[in-house]
Amino acid sequence: MLASKRLAVLQCLDWSAVVAAKSSNSPCAVVHGQRVISRTPAAMQYGVQVGMRRRHAQALCPDIEIVAHEPNRDRSAFDTVIRTVNELVPLIEVSEPGLIVFAVRGPSRYMGGDEPMALKIIDALKTSIAANSLVGVGVADSRLAANIAAHASAVASNRSGLFAPYLVEPDKTSDWLAPQSVRVLSEFANINRETISLLERLGLNTLHDVCALGESVLAGRFGELGVELHRLSRGDEQHQLVVVAPPPEHLCVEKFDEPVCDQQVVVNSVQRMASAFTEYFSIHGTVCVRIIIAFESEDGKRSERLWYRPQGLTASAIVESAKWQLEAWPVAAGLARVQLIADEVRADTARQLKLWGGTTQTDETATQAIGRLSELLGSSAVQIAKWQGGRDLLDSYELVSATHVQTIDSANSDKQLTVAKWRGALPTPSPSVVYNEPVQVQINDQHGKLLSVSARHELSASPVVVIIGATSYKVISWAGPWPVEERWWDTARGRRLVRLQLVCEKITVEDTPQISAMLAILEHSEWTVAAIYG
Amino acid sequence: MQLLAPERLVVADDVCKLLPDSGLVRGRIIRCSGDAGLSLALSLCSRATQQGSWLGVVGVAHLGVLAAVEHGVSLERMVLVQPPNTSREWSVTVSAVIDGFDLLVVAVPARLSANDARRVQTRLQSRRAVMIIVDNMALSRSTSRFSSEREPDPFVADVILDTKTKSWSGIDNGSGYLQHRDVSIRVSGRRVARQREHLVTRRF
Repeated sequence: MLASKRLAVLQCLDWSAVVAAKSSNSPCAVVHGQRVISRTPAAMQYGVQVGMRRRHAQALCPDIEIVAHEPNRDRSAFDTVIRTVNELVPLIEVSEPGLIVFAVRGPSRYMGGDEPMALKIIDALKTSIAANSLVGVGVADSRLAANIAAHASAVASNRSGLFAPYLVEPDKTSDWLAPQSVRVLSEFANINRETISLLERLGLNTLHDVCALGESVLAGRFGELGVELHRLSRGDEQHQLVVVAPPPEHLCVEKFDEPVCDQQVVVNSVQRMASAFTEYFSIHGTVCVRIIIAFESEDGKRSERLWYRPQGLTASAIVESAKWQLEAWPVAAGLARVQLIADEVRADTARQLKLWGGTTQTDETATQAIGRLSELLGSSAVQIAKWQGGRDLLDSYELVSATHVQTIDSANSDKQLTVAKWRGALPTPSPSVVYNEPVQVQINDQHGKLLSVSARHELSASPVVVIIGATSYKVISWAGPWPVEERWWDTARGRRLVRLQLVCEKITVEDTPQISAMLAILEHSEWTVAAIYG
Repeated sequence: MQLLAPERLVVADDVCKLLPDSGLVRGRIIRCSGDAGLSLALSLCSRATQQGSWLGVVGVAHLGVLAAVEHGVSLERMVLVQPPNTSREWSVTVSAVIDGFDLLVVAVPARLSANDARRVQTRLQSRRAVMIIVDNMALSRSTSRFSSEREPDPFVADVILDTKTKSWSGIDNGSGYLQHRDVSIRVSGRRVARQREHLVTRRF
């Protein structure tokens, strides 16, 4: 039995937006695809929320600064914070910019207790963080609880103007977690939002309800995921950790005969070690979720950092992390030694890919290819589609990494087509080409005026021509407008739009007409083409 | 001893007559071009995925998943891959997909070299997989070319199915919804003895 590790989480709220904004007081939102992923407190005042579409945010706050998502910017800006905290705490874990996790036992004892430690760290950070950014520290026995506490601390310090760390009493974590809403599981523990909404519909609203149901009932209903939900709700770590003999030294340590200054050489050797490292654990049916990467320079300086990934660290994830650690560690002398140390290991549940359609030879070969492709390209470049339900063409299926699928019930997929159609869903046949970034177009009537739609969902006139860029298409026939209102009760995520099907014709160079059918959408007074029947 | 997989993959009845061998012959390349190309490609793949073959969709950025479901593609055996754009890396990626999957639907990048194409084609033949090439349906305000004009690509296709939508039915001045279309499909290619043209009514 491993001793419980009391953790501290330092969170800088809305880091992406705070770093991107021109000044600390202006409203700013960072956008990825069409959705807001981070926004400054000033933007929040206008009602802008994470997950909202860009156009909606602009409608709420016309002066808002919209910045494209750039992970490198977030990372390099966070490096000063990392360095400051690292001076006080020798071993820290940074999995994403804005969040630092570390074990409290050592630092707390050294600095005279949990609270003095937290205050000391925040004090040290005063110079590296912008004046108005929200920072919080949470300390608890489980990662989930510490995350919730850190978030609460950050939000509270904004209101009072004073910083106050949130400390959950030792051994009281499960009691403290009990009244929390199940939503914290999707906000702080990366559980799928659909699963959480299902829990709520089943009448489970707090973590206490989830615990009370019992682990075996949850496992029966959700499989491996159910076990994780129960573990998180009672204050344990998400995964059951296993103890595996550490890999032989030649697999995880590389000593350079000559000190190396070229970063690429180091990265190549990390790549070799990472592949062998993950292979070793995979052979034992396990996967490493937390790893320490240690660099040692010729003159004896060491850089040690923890890296954590609940789904399991792949070789490419390890290489990414090593690169980030190297970039943030400016060292004049060359590198003499690189070491990978496994910190937390769990059973490899990615084996569940085998549940798909049985374990035929074809399935095995495909599964191996998926693994290899994920290593080559990164797991986000290899995806499968999961049924989610919804009216929007883009929302009914969610694309998820092929290697991180929890449970796929092959019987369910046959039911997909017979699932009761969402009201307001587009009639079949569905378009084969769907754009996730719709293109703005102009749709005009016979007088050249832009088409509009009245409050009673009537078109101002018949569409006659569609203009995309410099090309005009003549409208041959059309259907609609079909109004769609999504989540009318939710001011943040609500949408109102109309859809129009159009069949258009373009005269080509060969003088033969080219017929195309498309789906156009009018939202926030702008026409866009969302899909093509291609 | 491993039994050789059957020489061809089955296709749905409605597209069966389009193919010269009434099925997808392993090791071959089929090109589906024209404005109904992607939809035709999905039709060709559906039956095979239902019977256990895995489908790798490589570089087709805007695939409508609902449409794939409606064509009958088994989603649990369809994997979407975003490959790098450079010639060499693209061919390495596609080769890795060929190693594990029976069926591929790919969009060919603009600057694929003839050498890399040949490597992929050789790999396809030795692994006895089937590759269907479709056009990239990108749309932007500068290149409003979404019903694609045929782009030359370095692959030598065995069968070419060139589609051309003649008309859509089901809608009229605001009422109804898109239901069927009449498509002319011209079959050609080096495995096709005599070029022919089919006129089909498709629900997609």
